[in-house]
Amino acid sequence: MATFELYRRSTIGMCLTETLDEMVQSGTLSPELAIQVLVQFDKSMTEALESQVKSKVTIKGHLHTYRFCDNVWTFILQDAVFKNEDSVENVGRVKIVACDSKLLTQ
Amino acid sequence: MAARRNNPSGIVPTTQNIVSTVDLDCVLDLNHIALHSRNSEYFPKRFSAVIMRIKDPKTTALIFASGKMVCTGAKTEAQSKLAARKFARIIQKLGFPAKFRDFRIQNIVASCDVQFTIRLEKFACTSHGAFSTYEPELFPGLIYRMKQPKLVLLIFVSGNVVIAGAKKRDDFYTAFDNIYPVLAEFKK
Repeated sequence: MATFELYRRSTIGMCLTETLDEMVQSGTLSPELAIQVLVQFDKSMTEALESQVKSKVTIKGHLHTYRFCDNVWTFILQDAVFKNEDSVENVGRVKIVACDSKLLTQ
Repeated sequence: MAARRNNPSGIVPTTQNIVSTVDLDCVLDLNHIALHSRNSEYFPKRFSAVIMRIKDPKTTALIFASGKMVCTGAKTEAQSKLAARKFARIIQKLGFPAKFRDFRIQNIVASCDVQFTIRLEKFACTSHGAFSTYEPELFPGLIYRMKQPKLVLLIFVSGNVVIAGAKKRDDFYTAFDNIYPVLAEFKK
């Protein structure tokens, strides 16, 4: 089953990748096993976001740049406002990377 | 270049949209362009060209793998050429040997207001009916296909006139000069 590897670019994903790389370098872990761990990470992230996340956020901001290539949308927003049920966050610059979820179920 | 104002009303149509094409004369890697440029879209399953937009002048370009490019959205001919040059510059900066060959304006859309209401049904019923298509249930405007110069005018009851299909500015000035007296005949 194909996975979206974009979650590997998040802070937690980067930490996992770094740790796995260190372990492979030192010989504690085999490369194939490291790849399996990352694939499992992708699946778990997708599942967790689907089932365990219920909150809805509205994001409003000035669109600085947009890009659509390989079915991936990349947006760069400026002076964005993240509105949650109870909190409001102002962010000067935010990058949004979005993949089409229909591709997962194919 | 003197503006053609021999029209007794003094009304001059203003350009709204210019479509132009230019040949960059080199094969392009659309995936590379889409990945490395801002404000672009590339969805080959839907359309086999990169759709890129720039803010100044506010225009959109369709860039094909063959090196041909279509530039739309500019308000004047000069802006269209400038925009096409800006797009070509972006392609050049991405590393392709782009040139600026054969820049041609393909379509100019202009509009104006004759300042009086027009009786379209009467218009369509006269000798000019041969050139007109007026189907109020389909579209509220009368579609007038002028033979000389060959372009299309959309005439509305309100007096607004849209001229499309001109390749040169003079064409639509001539077309408006031709149609104005006819419209005046059918003033409400």
